[in-house]
Amino acid sequence: MALKNQKQVEAFADNITACADDIHGRLIEAIKDKKIDQMTAQQIFQNEASLRQHANTLYIDAANFVVDGLGESHTSLIDLIGSARESIRTMEKLAGTIGLIANLILLAAAACTAKPGPILSAMKAVQSDILALNNSREPLSDGIDDLAGDSSAHHTAIIRT
Amino acid sequence: MNAGKIASVILLTLSLLGCANLDEVREYATESAKFSAYTELTTRFRDTYEREQPYLSGEAAQQAQENDRRRKAAYNDLLKIHRGVALYMQTLAILAGEDTFSLSGEIDSLAGGIKAYPDLGIDAKHVDALAGITKTVTKWISASRQQNAVRNMVREGHEPLQTTLDGMNSLIRYYRKTNENEHKTVLGFFEVEMLFLDTPENKLLEALARAHLQNKVREYSQAQQKYDNAEQGIMRIAEGHRKLFEGIDKLSSAEIRSAISKFAKDIKSVRQNLQYVHE
Repeated sequence: MALKNQKQVEAFADNITACADDIHGRLIEAIKDKKIDQMTAQQIFQNEASLRQHANTLYIDAANFVVDGLGESHTSLIDLIGSARESIRTMEKLAGTIGLIANLILLAAAACTAKPGPILSAMKAVQSDILALNNSREPLSDGIDDLAGDSSAHHTAIIRT
Repeated sequence: MNAGKIASVILLTLSLLGCANLDEVREYATESAKFSAYTELTTRFRDTYEREQPYLSGEAAQQAQENDRRRKAAYNDLLKIHRGVALYMQTLAILAGEDTFSLSGEIDSLAGGIKAYPDLGIDAKHVDALAGITKTVTKWISASRQQNAVRNMVREGHEPLQTTLDGMNSLIRYYRKTNENEHKTVLGFFEVEMLFLDTPENKLLEALARAHLQNKVREYSQAQQKYDNAEQGIMRIAEGHRKLFEGIDKLSSAEIRSAISKFAKDIKSVRQNLQYVHE
């Protein structure tokens, strides 16, 4: 095709439309001046309409150019949506830190009392929290479905819909 | 210092640290995701032939049929462009959402599990304070995570989004130009034929044609408004995202927040105007 880019195609279509507009103006004048009969007028009008169809063909071409040109941006947007989902999933892991913080504060309070029993049990609790956190980091790279049983899986559900 | 005092000091300190308030971002993204004028106009573009077909004959009719086939073939790809933008905005709204990064459910269940430890000097009052600290700490952690997630999305999404919105504006321009050719074909047909109806025996036909023409004129002027509104809305979405992108490091500043909120309201009012056009 001789017309390579979208802007050229659009400009050409605009010109064809302008020609059709011009023909229409002359046609109406000629009818009013009784210079042509009805059949001729109908024929000229269909020619005008045909020019408009040609212009519309070019607008479809231009639209297809836009669609083709947007492929890359579309892919970037979709990829980005995927990584946003990922960051929400990562956030769900934070739920595990809540228990840790509470137990750390307990440990601090126990340390103040200098009583071995409470200190030991608070330390045990902290240790198990950390263990649980480390384990929960593993499935991060897996599919989103791993979180299905998670208490905060509803976030994932929101994203999916 | 006992545990209760420690708790209240930490609580106070943490509550002074900013938490993510992304209400305006969420509002903007939600409104942008709802803006579907493009979809409607894409469908109008696809259905061009149905409306112009009665007024065409001969070669023009054949061309119109071929154009119809091509518009229908392009339809899904044209819609996909909007779906990408809408999905992006929906995701941004969720990221900026109040509940997305909230862990209050987990905290509430935890608070029920904490017991008073009189041995440690922790009584029921302290248990409440402890739950409070935990809440604030996690809120603070989740707030900064949330801000980062929103920032990353806006930064990385800016360029492809602007390119896409720009493309959508071009497409709406082609829809509009196609619609103008349709409009001139339909109204032009009446204009030509009615000039030959100027005889007493054609009185009835002329009246019918005039009545039909009135409806058509109204229909096309409403369509015109839809193209205007769609262009305006897409422009506001693009400007809003630009503002967000430029102010991404100071999302909590009053200036950025009120600007983003203004865009959200503008987009909403353009959408509502479009609904009035329908009624």
